[in-house]
Amino acid sequence: MTVTLTRSTPAVTSPSPARVRRRGERSRLASIAYHATMITVSAVAVFPVLWVVYMSFGDADAWANPAEILRSPVTSNYGAVLRQHDGFLTWLGNSLVVAICTTLLGVLIAATAGYALSRMRFPGHRPLMWTFLVTQMFPVAILIVPLYNILSTLHLLNTYAGLVLTYCTISVPFCAWMLKGYFDTIPVEIDEAGRIDGCSPFGTFWKLVVPLARPGLAVTAFYTFLTAWGEVAYATQFMTTPDRYTLAVGLQTYVGQFKAEWGAMTAASVMISAFAAAVFFGVQRHLVSGLTAGAAK
Amino acid sequence: MRRGIAFLAVTVALAASGCSGSAEPADSDSGTITWWDTSDATTEAPTYQALVAQFQTQHPKTKVNYVNVPFSDAEQKFKTAAQGGNGAPDVMRSDVGWTPAFAAQGYLLPLDGTPAVDQIGDFLAGPAGTAKYDGKMYGAPQVTDTLGLLYNKALFAKAGITAAPKTWPELKTAAQALKAKAGVDGVYLNPDSYFLLPFLYGEGANLVDVANKKITINSPAAVKGVQTAQDLVESGAAAKPAYTDGYANMQAAFKDGKVGMIINGPWSASDIFAGKAFQDKANLGIAPVPAGSTGQAGSPVGGHNLVVYAGTKHAGAAEQFVQFMTSAASESTTAAKLGTLPARTSAYTSEVTANQVIASFQQAMAIAQPRLALPQASDLLGPLSQDYVKILQGEQAQAGLDNSAKEFAKLLPGWSAP
Amino acid sequence: MTLLRRVLDRHWYAWAMVAPVVLVLALLVLYPLARGLWFSLTDANESNIGRTIGPNHIPSTYQFVGLDNYWHVLSGAEGHFYPVLAWTVVWTLICVALHYGIGLALALLLNQRARFRTGYRIMLILPWAVPPFVSVFAWRLLLNGQAGIVNKALGGLGLPAVAWLSDPTWQKVSVIGVNTWIGVPFMMVALLGGLQSIPAELYEAAEMDGASAWHRFRFVTVPSLRPISNTVILLGCIWTFNQFAIIFLLVGQAAGASSQILVTYAYQLAFSGVRDYSGSATYGALILSLLLVFAVVYRRRLGSPARENPT
Repeated sequence: MTVTLTRSTPAVTSPSPARVRRRGERSRLASIAYHATMITVSAVAVFPVLWVVYMSFGDADAWANPAEILRSPVTSNYGAVLRQHDGFLTWLGNSLVVAICTTLLGVLIAATAGYALSRMRFPGHRPLMWTFLVTQMFPVAILIVPLYNILSTLHLLNTYAGLVLTYCTISVPFCAWMLKGYFDTIPVEIDEAGRIDGCSPFGTFWKLVVPLARPGLAVTAFYTFLTAWGEVAYATQFMTTPDRYTLAVGLQTYVGQFKAEWGAMTAASVMISAFAAAVFFGVQRHLVSGLTAGAAK
Repeated sequence: MRRGIAFLAVTVALAASGCSGSAEPADSDSGTITWWDTSDATTEAPTYQALVAQFQTQHPKTKVNYVNVPFSDAEQKFKTAAQGGNGAPDVMRSDVGWTPAFAAQGYLLPLDGTPAVDQIGDFLAGPAGTAKYDGKMYGAPQVTDTLGLLYNKALFAKAGITAAPKTWPELKTAAQALKAKAGVDGVYLNPDSYFLLPFLYGEGANLVDVANKKITINSPAAVKGVQTAQDLVESGAAAKPAYTDGYANMQAAFKDGKVGMIINGPWSASDIFAGKAFQDKANLGIAPVPAGSTGQAGSPVGGHNLVVYAGTKHAGAAEQFVQFMTSAASESTTAAKLGTLPARTSAYTSEVTANQVIASFQQAMAIAQPRLALPQASDLLGPLSQDYVKILQGEQAQAGLDNSAKEFAKLLPGWSAP
Repeated sequence: MTLLRRVLDRHWYAWAMVAPVVLVLALLVLYPLARGLWFSLTDANESNIGRTIGPNHIPSTYQFVGLDNYWHVLSGAEGHFYPVLAWTVVWTLICVALHYGIGLALALLLNQRARFRTGYRIMLILPWAVPPFVSVFAWRLLLNGQAGIVNKALGGLGLPAVAWLSDPTWQKVSVIGVNTWIGVPFMMVALLGGLQSIPAELYEAAEMDGASAWHRFRFVTVPSLRPISNTVILLGCIWTFNQFAIIFLLVGQAAGASSQILVTYAYQLAFSGVRDYSGSATYGALILSLLLVFAVVYRRRLGSPARENPT
């Protein structure tokens, strides 16, 4: 007895065809189990976010009595958070400025180095690669005290420049490492074609290779942006006044040892998450390929 | 790439030049000064902001930049800003425990003889003492406070308790009665070392003995005090404290009528009155903290001073601002609106003393003990909090306090330990 | 001379192109690192470090103490290093195992053709899209001992409330749980990418040879995923070991004394109480050394990723 397979391979005799099933299809039971698992896991993944959205409609004391929100929801939290002087909108602006500057600097500075490492075997390339890997292992603890001291002497604490420079310690090695990986995936023939046409190495890089590496550049830029956006330790210590807080620091002011403004905190969280999720889902399809191409070295 | 370096250099140059202090004329009371206020952002800040507005109408040449910084972060943020010379405020509302520490590190301007501390004799003795370091006055007392026993009168009535407990054993009985008859937790102890002090003072113990340079946190009296607290939690008389967000949970439970007694200070009154169980303000009972086995009760003197940053560029304006905010009129206004206790004798007007919260806490102040005259005093509370948490979670009190003594020894080199 | 000339001629382009990164690294990473190591050899703290504040000039009075700090920490005299290290290692191992295990399972499930697959995928990526500092606060609200919905749900089922953020053991469970919730999507997406790049012919060939599903998994899937698994596990270990935000924001510093990992403890030394800069730098140096040793051992056992080709 033959069974027709879904792919165009020669017919194969199936050993004991009690009920004919197409290859790759699941039984009813397996299907139910599959969807049940996925629904449960998805619920766990999504529930905290939904809960935060729910709590953002409660007043100051609603966090202690969640059921009350159903009875009397309020939207005042969003208004209060948006209107706050040196509050959410300021912090959002600060986070954006710092993250964008870090990303631009990281990608710009690291791009040429990534290319050089990928293409050229120059003395010192092995130690340099090692340095990139090692600097990514640096815990916050080893650099935060000296950076704090240096920035303090230069009067760069509580400034954008200070924080961007600090983040560059993380972003530049990371970008260089990832970009080298991306440039590795671009065939060397392109470079040779450029050289035949008479371009200098830098010209080849700029005119031929960079356009091809644009997806890789974009993904690297995205990861850098994410890291700078979500960084907590340096931002908490280096930004001291509310007009300079990034979102990570600002959010901490709502809930601390002696206060619990969960209403304001959840409203701010919802706004941040909505913004972040929108950006994320626009890019997410490229992240899968991005990671495998760049990181699997 | 070269573009990258240029970008970097330009950014650094711009930011550095833009963010160093602007050169304004050192006029006596013109310019922009920044004030870091550590009061509660929702319940207390509006009152202070109104006072700031009043100051600005009286001094049109001075602009005050009001910044509210959460109390729990303020000390560290001020230290970072003060050391770095960037973003430090001109005036800071400093907890009395921090003032000697800041002064010792050189962050503050001495205020003797300046307008900031005019009518110095009018300040209450206790608060004035906390603002001194090394013989000089570094702050102007703004509010003073102490811890008291706050209770829900309706729940007391339900449980058949007629008077506020005067000793810890009485408190335990009352708590158990509340549990049995009113169905609520008896008392909620905030697992923070500052709130442990009444237990210690009740046994005549203290963190250290300044006069003799001895560390006394692990003396038998102190152990007894801590064991009282530990027993309250372990026996179930006290609700199981939350170690994260403990203060917030305590307030929420009390405001909701889910716990009968808490130990807290006058600053929490405005928050409490916003709660369900205290819509009728008369329902809040305030008594001095219970006494220990020595028969004496004790609670720590707290409060806040307004201090001036040593690196300020507008010392004149800052001092005038401090004078305004700590004047008798301002302190009375704050007291009337927020239930805080003024730090000036003349601020205790009849309107102020008519406030039930203030009157009750004034009685509680009678047993208040002054803080340790030591710059490291507030630093000692940190390690003690960590050990207090472990003790409440079940560690042996003596072992935990011995560990605290070890940590204290690191902060006070050369002091003897028992 | 001509040799030097030749070397320069051949490589000056390369050096020019890496110059910006080298400059940035030297100024922003190596110099502070050297300074940090210098601090770890002194007794610098907030009181004895030089500063000028307005009219107050306080000179530096900290002194070189050699390897005293390291000895103090490693010999156990300081008392915190080994317990914190033990918990940090446990934390890392459990978290990475959960991240990888659950991530792989979900990736395998998502790799199947099924209805609503895109929907599931979007929902499962959500924890990654939300910034970590937001998710941690969300969990802090959920796990609140009195008012958190988790305890209320347990109460509804008749189970006793758990002190998620207070009890030392449950604190550890909570931080691991939250880290897993936050970290699984990344692993899932990375492994899914790896799975999708495995050619179908390999599976068909295996099937034709009579391999069962389990055998196909063991002999086709796992080896094909090896390069990406190695990378994400290494990254996962490093990131988890250094994970600051979750423990700092979920349990704070006073209450979470028993759940501190090395990085949060070092931060606490530097920025609370009397700031102990030298102690913090010492811890930082020790953390870095541990990670370096780990990375070297790891790569030696699995081959150097920097030399592998992406084919």
